[in-house]
Amino acid sequence: MTPDGIDRGGAEELLEGLVRIASPSGHESAASHFLVDWMSRHGFDAQVDEVGNAVGVRGDGSREILLLGHIDTFQGIVPVRREGRLLFGRGTVDAKGPLAAFAVAAAAVEPQTEWRVTVVGAVEEEAASSRGARHILESRGNDPPIVCVIGEPSRWDRITLGYKGRLMLDAIMRVPLGHSAGNLKLPPELGVDLWRTVTAFCEERDAARQAQRAFDRLMPALQQMNSANDDTHGVVTLTIGFRLGPRDQPETLPGELEARLAEWARREGITDMQLRFAGAERTHKAPKATPLVRAFLASIRAAKGTPRFVLKTGTSDMNVVAPGWPATSLAAYGPGDSSLDHTPDEHIDLAEYARAVEVLTAVLTRLTV
Amino acid sequence: MSAEAECPECAAVIELDDDVVEGEIVTCTECGMELEVVPGNPWSLTPAPEEEEDWGE
Repeated sequence: MTPDGIDRGGAEELLEGLVRIASPSGHESAASHFLVDWMSRHGFDAQVDEVGNAVGVRGDGSREILLLGHIDTFQGIVPVRREGRLLFGRGTVDAKGPLAAFAVAAAAVEPQTEWRVTVVGAVEEEAASSRGARHILESRGNDPPIVCVIGEPSRWDRITLGYKGRLMLDAIMRVPLGHSAGNLKLPPELGVDLWRTVTAFCEERDAARQAQRAFDRLMPALQQMNSANDDTHGVVTLTIGFRLGPRDQPETLPGELEARLAEWARREGITDMQLRFAGAERTHKAPKATPLVRAFLASIRAAKGTPRFVLKTGTSDMNVVAPGWPATSLAAYGPGDSSLDHTPDEHIDLAEYARAVEVLTAVLTRLTV
Repeated sequence: MSAEAECPECAAVIELDDDVVEGEIVTCTECGMELEVVPGNPWSLTPAPEEEEDWGE
């Protein structure tokens, strides 16, 4: 039992209660109010903020530890059920498990005089807007937190140090139609050629930089491709997502891609091609020699674990806040297996959830003594 | 007086700061290995965790 009386059942009740309230991006209100109500009953000064984030604060010191989770989930319903110690449901792993662990741990630690601990269940992390985290970033102004833990599944004994960046590209081409028996390339064939040009660009860039690890590579994904005929012309649209490495600059990458695709389009005689870039996020890798990482290493070992570091190929709210808070100690942490993110089999092991609460409680204690 | 501990990789003696704490990451000045400070009379050093990669968020 934790010092404020939250026993294992209470911690599981919070998580299951959150999971039972569906909260896909843009529809988080009921879940946010549920969490705020729970935090208000467990020693937090809690409210739903202007953009819908659930925010709970303990202590009133000037030194802030921010536990930044997200309360929205990926779309789709995964029926909530228990199988032994496994809890199934949308958001159990991504990321209501980590968020509930934050709230339970923060409720268990009495903040020391100069500290305050803030738990945030941010909205729209699963949307490209990251509205909740951006609001938190802006609201801190010139007073960033000393420490920020992002709530994402890492496994209870691992510390996530980095997330790849992201860039989205919509490519739209309008090309004259020709007979399929002729020697003109048909619009869908040009769409495939554009995709191949993009993959070649990425592979050549990785080879030149000797980028071997997934974290270091520029990784394209063809998310959609459609073609339709418009009288005498065909229109091909492609949506391509890029996962960026640490050396890919979201400011300059669009220009480099534009140059390469313009050269290809000239060779193919394409005169009507539009490229629209959006959703840029820079890759972030946090340093290891920080008070936060120290606290996690010691706390995981104290819980009889062997700590490990992990770098993720995805993107999280760490990418959003890190550029604005260069002096803040950052890491991501939370129970759960991220390979279950967004899947119809999403579930969490409640024993692992309890161990993550134990580790987080120890981390908060070590940071604030 | 500052503490000393031995690098488990190259056996170099590493001087630790007076305010060293458990979980701190230090780099061996001889072999460059990243090391984690763990408890042990009063401190000892173990190789810092490797960086793994994981697909997803």
